[in-house]
Amino acid sequence: MQSMESEVAVPKWASEPCIMGIDEAGRGPVLGPMVYGCLYCAVSYQKTLSSLNFADSKTLKEEKREELFENLKTDESIGWEVDVIDPRELSAKMLKKNKINLNEISHESAMGLVKRVVNLGVLLTEVYVDTVGDPEKYRIKLFERFPGIKFVVAKKADSLYPVVSGASIVAKVTRDRAVRDWVLDETAENMHRNFGSGYPGDPGTKSWLEHHKHHVFGFPTLVRFSWGTCTPYFKDIVEVLWESDKTDEDASSTRGSKRQLTLSSVGFAGLKRKSEEIESSGKGRCKFFQSRKLEQISHF
Amino acid sequence: MDGNGSAEGSSATGAVGGIDLSRFDDPTAVDLTGQVHQLPCCIKYDGPSPVSHYFKPKSTGIEVDGLKIEEAYFRGRKLQGTTIPLPQGYSGFVIGKKSLGKGKAPDQSEEISNSWEMNAKFQSITFWNHDSLPSHDDAFVRSFHWLSVAKALHQPVTPEDLESASNSQQSK
Repeated sequence: MQSMESEVAVPKWASEPCIMGIDEAGRGPVLGPMVYGCLYCAVSYQKTLSSLNFADSKTLKEEKREELFENLKTDESIGWEVDVIDPRELSAKMLKKNKINLNEISHESAMGLVKRVVNLGVLLTEVYVDTVGDPEKYRIKLFERFPGIKFVVAKKADSLYPVVSGASIVAKVTRDRAVRDWVLDETAENMHRNFGSGYPGDPGTKSWLEHHKHHVFGFPTLVRFSWGTCTPYFKDIVEVLWESDKTDEDASSTRGSKRQLTLSSVGFAGLKRKSEEIESSGKGRCKFFQSRKLEQISHF
Repeated sequence: MDGNGSAEGSSATGAVGGIDLSRFDDPTAVDLTGQVHQLPCCIKYDGPSPVSHYFKPKSTGIEVDGLKIEEAYFRGRKLQGTTIPLPQGYSGFVIGKKSLGKGKAPDQSEEISNSWEMNAKFQSITFWNHDSLPSHDDAFVRSFHWLSVAKALHQPVTPEDLESASNSQQSK
């Protein structure tokens, strides 16, 4: 995770009771980082903040967002932080042996921001958080981690509270810049960076995905492999079997059906045989060889 | 890459075969040292692939038990790996079916033949784990134990060995 900090020294007003808003950008897109942003100020500055015309970042034009972001950066009565979650990290966490879902990743990121601001020495008393999941469960989770802070968790908080609107601008501008300046790690020829918005419905994103699909590697690491959007593109590429996926078969029915989609061509019997190829049973072999996964081959 | 090329034996199970390593000292022979990866998955593909354009291992700067940890991503999964040199006196080989001289009916004879030749050699291998740090406890590292065990088992016994063995028996 990368972090950026707005202030080096803690401003004087930080020892007054402060409010903070947290919002995210880039949760839906199939590519690029997901960004969590927060914005905080003294409770006494709240009225002025409302007059700064922060609206939900999605309702603003890009130039307007950029302008507002530049303004708030120079405003000495406002502090902000961001947490940029790399698409590689998102995919890796969601595809771990013990999978971490997107809500958990989001909550951890938001709580990381609260912790960071508290550690800076800011006296947070109220924190407003936008959420897509169940607000009450999330509020309890936050309160348990930070008992001294009052949390207000709401859907569409970015349009309800100016401090969250401000946070949404911080997050959205950071995400847009990260995607715009993204340097592809992959060095294959004929790659380009016209990936569009990254939203699954965007024709630009669709054609970029189609063009950058690779039969062995899947996609460049800018893409979130764990997104359902990728599934249709993976249907006709080389199959890759992971040890950690074997246990998925008897997992929840939704996950089971997802897996069958990728393995539909082999069927159950074929799958069983292929799992054995990853790791042979080692039956009848001396324990020394078995534990080292060694097998004698006399003909190949 | 772990091509998993399971070349299940052709019908010539009983045939005598061999591996031609005569090009080992040939300076023009392909050396893949540092480019051989063992992945914790089965890729159902056997063939060329632009590995170095997509698979980008990065050093983490972390060292665990003397193993330098590297990091890479494949199909969205995070892999942690380490490069280990092959033991002194051993080499890794990529072998292919020996191509017989031109003019002979290639299909038939090549299929039956169990003669192989070296296409490339390597002196190190990078093995990767999914979600766990590589360690000396990994089966892959432990598999090298066999080399010293095999050496001990197969070393011819010299008269001196016998003598010292019987001496130590008597002294007990």
